[in-house]
Amino acid sequence: MSTAWTPGRVGFYALAALFGLLAVAPLAILLKVSLSGPEDVLVQHPPFWIWHPTTEHWAAVLKPEVIWPPLRKSLVVATGTAVLAVVIAAPAAYVIARLPRGWRYGVVLALLFTRMFPEVIIATPIAVTFLRAGLIDTDIGLILAHLIRNLPFVAWILVGTFEVIPRDLEEASWVDGNGRLGTLWSVVLPLALPGIAVAAIFAWLDSWNDLLYAIYLLLAERTLPLMTYYFANRGSVFDVATFSVVLTVPVLVLTLLLQQYIRAGTLGGAVKG
Amino acid sequence: MRAAPLPRYSRRRALGVGAGLLLVAACGGSAEDVLTPEADAGSLRVVMGLAESEWRVVREVVLAPFEQQTGVRVVPVQMEAADLVRQLDAQVQAGAVSIDLFTQDNNQLAPLVAKGLVEDLTPYADLIPAETPQALRPVLEFDGRLYFLPYRPNVQITYYLEPHFAQYGLTPPQTWDELLAVGRAFEAREKFGRVVIQGVPGGPVGVVVTEFLWQGGGDPLELTAPGSARAFEFLQQLEPYLSPVYQTAKFDTINTYLASETAYLGQNWPFGADVIVKQYRKQGVGAYSGWAGPAGEFHVLGGEVIGIPRGTPRREQALEFARFLMSRPVQEALVQRLAWPPMRDDAFGAVAEWQQPFFAAVQAALRQARARPNVVYWGEVERVLSDAFRDIVTNKQPVPPTLARYQAQIEQARAAAR
Repeated sequence: MSTAWTPGRVGFYALAALFGLLAVAPLAILLKVSLSGPEDVLVQHPPFWIWHPTTEHWAAVLKPEVIWPPLRKSLVVATGTAVLAVVIAAPAAYVIARLPRGWRYGVVLALLFTRMFPEVIIATPIAVTFLRAGLIDTDIGLILAHLIRNLPFVAWILVGTFEVIPRDLEEASWVDGNGRLGTLWSVVLPLALPGIAVAAIFAWLDSWNDLLYAIYLLLAERTLPLMTYYFANRGSVFDVATFSVVLTVPVLVLTLLLQQYIRAGTLGGAVKG
Repeated sequence: MRAAPLPRYSRRRALGVGAGLLLVAACGGSAEDVLTPEADAGSLRVVMGLAESEWRVVREVVLAPFEQQTGVRVVPVQMEAADLVRQLDAQVQAGAVSIDLFTQDNNQLAPLVAKGLVEDLTPYADLIPAETPQALRPVLEFDGRLYFLPYRPNVQITYYLEPHFAQYGLTPPQTWDELLAVGRAFEAREKFGRVVIQGVPGGPVGVVVTEFLWQGGGDPLELTAPGSARAFEFLQQLEPYLSPVYQTAKFDTINTYLASETAYLGQNWPFGADVIVKQYRKQGVGAYSGWAGPAGEFHVLGGEVIGIPRGTPRREQALEFARFLMSRPVQEALVQRLAWPPMRDDAFGAVAEWQQPFFAAVQAALRQARARPNVVYWGEVERVLSDAFRDIVTNKQPVPPTLARYQAQIEQARAAAR
């Protein structure tokens, strides 16, 4: 393989560096603000480096009574949403993927159709239904609310994943004596793992970042986005920056851990015949 | 094409990540963390929109003494004014009201009444202490019915950065002419506007424009009145000398603009003093009541009132808590600890030394404060004022025809409300 620095190669790395910088800069600024005193931020021309470092914003945020309840809530709800979304949507998506082309196309369009309603409009009737069911301030209430928008999306991703898995493999497994469920478990699901990982990440991130349903369905409890929203309204820029870093770190960790499963083409072919 | 199977260790790692997350999530839960409806069936849920420093004081001087006196547990809930309307709307529609009492920004009461989300408190009018100033009473009523109880009057004051005024030999503006002159002076010297007004559409513009309309002799419900046109003409004239950030300025961002010296003069609610001076450790911040227009100095009466959601199962306890909030000891404690102006004439208290200039400015502004029109279509009026502000002030459209167009929209809202 050639390692020569051709103009195309230089351009590629320059663009990659630029995009990397654009991606990292907001987080770097948040981190800087969260570790700075007012003298380094609230001036007409803020310095690039931190000259008045402080941990007081982090100390305030990392108090167990401040950070733990919303962190626990967000983790439980996001993980529950991702797991349930995959568990419910995967079998459905497998069946849809094995439908004749015309049917499959129609069902996939129907899945996407459910995502077309502005959430602000449907949030109130959904909240009314959930409140009637006594689901206020409960983890399961918020998980179910998040599933409303995540199930169609996860199913859509997984349809594309399952339909590119050759039927020949399943038939070979049947010949070897595996039943349908055995084939699904030992042949199809392992091959679908990259798509499942992508779907789970999307569902987890969507739930992790949700504010709308949290506002409706939580009173005495808060999620991390609700805490950030609260500090944005009532606190200082330092509180907001610190909480934003807290909100972002788990996303980075999860993405780094699971990115190995994300492969080109995983999302492709959702409606291919 | 055959999909390549993943190596076995990758599958194990994926399962491990998922299991780890679940474990972390599950281990974190405890019975105390989850406040189930059954667990707090006997307690009172009280919604307020406060900063953490304010919550600390309210817990100490309001909630704890009330719990001691009555044995009723109070669950405090933080919620912003706009979110309260959404939340209550859903709860009342569901017939599952779990908020028992709230304090709400008195400039955002109309939707609560228009949607039928609050109890009619007319039969409980005698709960209002006799020592409540008359000026505070109009905001409590809609169409002659009492829906709210007084709690905490408030008003915007003007903050300015003393070193920058001293640097250019300027004094804080007391009139429209002086405001324009100060704006011009800063812009001429620094090539950047340093005066800021709250220009975010909705509530912020609603308050700003209403104050200018009154100062000009106009009326937010009568935009074609000569005084209203005068106010918009002045704002149009002032706009080139405003800091460009005015379009994103509202109650929270304006604190940052002043603290970071992006702006040297701006109006905000008194909590801004706590943020700018205490949290941001800004020195040389002055405050005064504000400026006068041709018709005088006027301010929108803000603050919070007490409301009780329609259908709460704990109405009697909520009324008891409302009575407690309006009591003299509580009002005096709030003056002393938070420098909140009291809602009764007989509540006095010495505020902390650093708060004194800001408290004095608030007291002065309150003397010039009046309630915005108590109409159920006020939300629509705020939208109209915001649109007119955008067209006339930001986009420089001609004043009379633009105001005539928007006055027609106010008439429509008024007719619809009838």
